[in-house]
Amino acid sequence: MTTQRLLLVEDNDMNRDMLSRRLRRAGFEVLWAADGEQALRAVIEDRPDLVLLDINLPIMDGWTVCQRVRETAEVQDTPIIALTAHAMAEDRDKALGAGCDDYATKPIDFPGLLEKIRRLLES
Amino acid sequence: MSLRRRLTLSLFTILVLFAINVGTHFWGSYARSESMVAYRQAVSAGQLTDAMAKQLEDQRQKILVLSTLRENTEDVLAVEDQQTALQGIAETRGTVDALGGMVSDVTALQFAQLGTSSERLLASWEAFYRNYNDKSWVSDVDDPIPYVEASQRLKELEQRQAFIAVQRANVIDRTIALTDRITVLGFIASIFLTATLGFFLVRYTNDNLKRLKRGTQRLGGGELDYRIEDIDDDGELGDLASAFNTMSDKLRRAIDEEKDAKRSADEANAAKSRFLANVSHELRTPLNAIIGYSEMLHDELGDDTEVNRPQFQTDLDKIILSGRQLLALIDDILDLSKIETGKMILSREPFAPGDVLTMAIDALAPILRHRGNQLRCDDFTALPVLNNDAVKFRQIIVNLLSNAAKFTENGTIAVSANVDPHNHSLEIAVSDTGIGMTEEQQAQVFEAFVQAEASTSQDYGGSGLGLAICHDFCELMGGTITVESAPGEGSTFRLRLPVDPESVPEAA
Repeated sequence: MTTQRLLLVEDNDMNRDMLSRRLRRAGFEVLWAADGEQALRAVIEDRPDLVLLDINLPIMDGWTVCQRVRETAEVQDTPIIALTAHAMAEDRDKALGAGCDDYATKPIDFPGLLEKIRRLLES
Repeated sequence: MSLRRRLTLSLFTILVLFAINVGTHFWGSYARSESMVAYRQAVSAGQLTDAMAKQLEDQRQKILVLSTLRENTEDVLAVEDQQTALQGIAETRGTVDALGGMVSDVTALQFAQLGTSSERLLASWEAFYRNYNDKSWVSDVDDPIPYVEASQRLKELEQRQAFIAVQRANVIDRTIALTDRITVLGFIASIFLTATLGFFLVRYTNDNLKRLKRGTQRLGGGELDYRIEDIDDDGELGDLASAFNTMSDKLRRAIDEEKDAKRSADEANAAKSRFLANVSHELRTPLNAIIGYSEMLHDELGDDTEVNRPQFQTDLDKIILSGRQLLALIDDILDLSKIETGKMILSREPFAPGDVLTMAIDALAPILRHRGNQLRCDDFTALPVLNNDAVKFRQIIVNLLSNAAKFTENGTIAVSANVDPHNHSLEIAVSDTGIGMTEEQQAQVFEAFVQAEASTSQDYGGSGLGLAICHDFCELMGGTITVESAPGEGSTFRLRLPVDPESVPEAA
């Protein structure tokens, strides 16, 4: 079984460092991007198996990245999990409405996130 | 004309007509009774003259018989008979006096003539009776002239009185006809006038009341701009219409105010919700690092492999740093809430702003020079002493410097200080050549609940409470803070604080 590649999009250095290390410990190969443009390029060029997408991003926000991915034929089926510090119900609806497959609120419940990732990768 | 005046005028007119009718009636009654008295007198006088004519004739017949007897026989008149005859003459005199009591201006002449002639006749008859038994006395009663004259006068008086009675009767008839006519005319005029006035009054009142009713219905139907126009009345109905208009004005204003109040309450609520959402967002970011790193270190300690001690320490530092950020954020929120509730206290003390500036810049120098930025500062040694809150002054400066560092890359951050001797103020300017702000952003940059422009706070972190706190602190300290900026060209924040006039160096 090949190692599955995740793309972690997060502009906050600390959170990116922490999350990528924990994901690697959990057995994933982790790519990363720090803004929306980098993220979109990485999705198209590196074809990750799943994207963890922070919504509050410089240059291009997460909603836009999500929409662009869904509009790009070669990568439109890539599963996307939105990560955001916004905890309101409408934020969840907005994430799912924009084409994200799932949604996780910061502070991240890591076991819960792993379960979401595995479920999406299996389906 | 007002309704009351119209009603009063109508009532007055009707009363005047009524008074004319009543007056006519009384005058008619008076005139009739006057004429009736005169008529009755005339009739009584006629009866008296008739009676007198008869008395005269009887007595004359009697005297003529007696006179013949006296001349041709030795007849002697008994004393009783003489008395009776004299009494008859006295009665006739009484009749004349009674006639005199009924005399009026128009019969005075006839009566006077009658009085003279009848007196002469009666005097001769009286003399006849008195001297009847004296044979030497020569009687003149055979002479018919006094009798004829008295009779003639009596007839004249009678005719005169009959004429007057007819005249009086005519006057009575005319008076009755006249008063009847006036009464009927007055009555008809009253009815007509009342009906006309009533008609116009009802129509006028109805028209205006309909307008008022229509206005009330339309206002009640929610047409708050509706006004009652063209009420041609400066009285009650006009007052009612203008009261109505005033009421609907006030009603609309009250509703507008209510709407405004609701809108601003809604806006304030929405702003508070946004603020809470932002606070929640900002609290979650450091918490994410704290919980994430802690869990990760916990997991690593459970592994069998050797712990990488330097890495472990770096990760712990991140937890500590995030914890401090969290604390700073909570302090900011508490500060703002203290200011909002008026519980923020200023502790004034004399301090040298130059020293505070230098210390703050030194402390922040690493982050100010970070990202390839140049730092340029004035000489702060000659600045006047401020009598103000040094801690809050420092907080403002640190905040402005942190913002400048946060939004500037490969640029210049400059701090300058100037004293304005005219306004007795110290102006400190913190400028950068960073990303700058649009005019819209500048207008909102100091507002607590409306600020934190979404993408900016997301790009650069921070709750965005700092400038709101700076602004409120400045106001508390009696100063002002303003911003000049252009997108892509950087921002300059100017802080002006009052200076004790005596400590300001004189302008050269």
